[in-house]
Amino acid sequence: MKKVIDVAKYEYFKHVGKRRFWIALLGVPVGFLLIIALSILLSFLSFNQDPVGYVDQANLITQPQQIPDETGFLKIFIPLIPYEYEAAARADVENGTLQGYVVIPPGYQSTYQVTYYSNSQPSSDVQNQINELLRDNLMLNQKLPYLDRIRAGSQISMESLDGSETSDGTGWHRIFVPILIGILYFVLVMSGGGYLLQSLVEEKQNRTMEIMITSMSPNQLMNGKIIGNLGVGLTQILIWVLIMVLGGLIFRERLTFLVDLNLSPGYLALGLALLVLAFVASAGLLAIIGASMSSMEEAQSVNGLIILPAMLPFYFFQSFFTNPNGVIPRILSYFPLSAPLSLSLRMAFTRVATWEIALVFVILIASIILVFWMSGKAYRRGLLEYNKRLKLRDLFAKEVTNG
Amino acid sequence: MDTIVVSHIAKSFGETQAVKDVSFSVRPGEIFGLLGPNGSGKTTSLRVILDIYQPDKGSVSILDGPMTEEKLNHIGYLPEERGLYQDVELTRNLTYLATLKNMTKEQIEEKLPVWLERLDLTEHQKKKTKELSKGMQQKAQLIAALIHDPDIIIIDEPFAALDPVNTQLVKDLLKDLRNQNRTIIMSTHQMNQVEQLCDRLVLIDHGTVLLEGALKEVQERFATNQVLIQTDSELPENLPGVQSVEREGLNYRLTPSDGLSPREILQQLIDQRISLNSFEIATPSLDEIFIKVVKEGRNNHEESN
Repeated sequence: MKKVIDVAKYEYFKHVGKRRFWIALLGVPVGFLLIIALSILLSFLSFNQDPVGYVDQANLITQPQQIPDETGFLKIFIPLIPYEYEAAARADVENGTLQGYVVIPPGYQSTYQVTYYSNSQPSSDVQNQINELLRDNLMLNQKLPYLDRIRAGSQISMESLDGSETSDGTGWHRIFVPILIGILYFVLVMSGGGYLLQSLVEEKQNRTMEIMITSMSPNQLMNGKIIGNLGVGLTQILIWVLIMVLGGLIFRERLTFLVDLNLSPGYLALGLALLVLAFVASAGLLAIIGASMSSMEEAQSVNGLIILPAMLPFYFFQSFFTNPNGVIPRILSYFPLSAPLSLSLRMAFTRVATWEIALVFVILIASIILVFWMSGKAYRRGLLEYNKRLKLRDLFAKEVTNG
Repeated sequence: MDTIVVSHIAKSFGETQAVKDVSFSVRPGEIFGLLGPNGSGKTTSLRVILDIYQPDKGSVSILDGPMTEEKLNHIGYLPEERGLYQDVELTRNLTYLATLKNMTKEQIEEKLPVWLERLDLTEHQKKKTKELSKGMQQKAQLIAALIHDPDIIIIDEPFAALDPVNTQLVKDLLKDLRNQNRTIIMSTHQMNQVEQLCDRLVLIDHGTVLLEGALKEVQERFATNQVLIQTDSELPENLPGVQSVEREGLNYRLTPSDGLSPREILQQLIDQRISLNSFEIATPSLDEIFIKVVKEGRNNHEESN
């Protein structure tokens, strides 16, 4: 066990101790934030917030535009200013005070048509605010009760037949955790798995394999490498999550929708366990590839084969949504590489039987044992063929089954 | 008790039979030469001893039993294909490899500087492996094989990339280790190094043993009654009692007629009034024995096929 820990520590600090790891690690969120900030800034700067005039020839508007409680960054408000005469509004457009004006004609309540005058296309916000003003005043004139309630619409809550699954119907947050698991799995395989692959191919190219194998068993070595590189991937994820939490705390007033998230500890723990186990299975597969390939370029070309099945649930998203207990979602949740995303997606949309969850875990653990056994063989077999690529059948050849 | 006993091992890779039948034993405190031409099965035999490969047939006993994880910590290995992390600095490389041999941090901190000093690598310790010359990398690899004070040392071509100064350094080191009762298996093509270092040897080709024994015993076994002389005189065409004369640089190699001893040849030369600068009984070099045995072995191999 000591040697496994020694290998894990070496693998971990080999990457985490390097400056380029931190540059890459922090570069992604910083770059992402910069792009978002830049695009917000650009759209904000190019957005026309000049007032819009309206000439109410139909005498419809009895309640002027409501000024929102809060305005400012990211909350667009375009003032709608009443004009008695069209000529005055037109003059203000021409002198740049207004970006345009709308005329509500005398027969509006039979045609429901207005005309907008301007030399530029009105933005969707301008159109929405004009529509809102007209709708509010039309309803106000009808003296409808519960006007605010009508505006807000109804809230539909959903419940499964046995009452075990409930939802307030807003829906989007149900897939938040599965999608997060999918993204994290992708990051883990790309970073931790990528480093593992790199380390194995390097050891083959450097001929270090032969030295390592005379100090410990191939399985001990593989275990150490997988633990170390899993640690690298988890460090990456942890730091990104910390950055997200920090961002969430800073902008908490603007992220009120996040309170809808149902982040039950059991569901999160299950997702995390699936994530780690699926990574270990993928790492075992990558280890076979790494020990079998003779160059990094070759190994990277097949790395995608591990990612592709993991992302399959995204391609069949409709099946998960419409029939989460259907054949495709079931098969994908039993397949080790797509299990984390598939099972968590199914659990988001339906109640998955306990035996099925247990079966997914059993398949995952059995796959891990199989790929680890094969990766140990591949490592030993890799010694024979420094400059050649191993074939799958070579892993089961006689000299290896003996070894 | 022998440290290593190899009994009739055989190992095939698919259609290729790398080792057919190899047996030998290595005693404590000796340098044992594992010799053979390229592709003879030397490296495969070493890998079987190290438990990298399991033999198809036969067995290996190390320190009185099969290989265990614990025994791996008592073995130092310098492979033919040198293996250090190229992008990692030397001390980190060696510290990591020593850790995997169960050395503690304190032991490494105590021993590594001594080894670096002994092999003239102290001033290069902060360099990455790829920045070191081939010879330096080889010496660094030797430190990786020796730093944990192994009882058994297995070295494959230890002089391959070394200049004469470093060759002498490594030779002295190996002699010291023998004096400390370490068991050393050395595989090499450099027969002069075997002659100077090895106590016993085995010569293999086509995966079978062609020759085994103590160095002196092997040389005696192949000794002839030929003599080597150096002279300023012209040798007569027909020397009585001499079957043939061959010029070898400054020397003449004389093969006596059947039944004549070197002493009788010397008497003949004196009788002929030939002035001699030197006279010695020709001991066959290991190179000559190697070539002779391998050629004979190959002829037998072809005939048997």
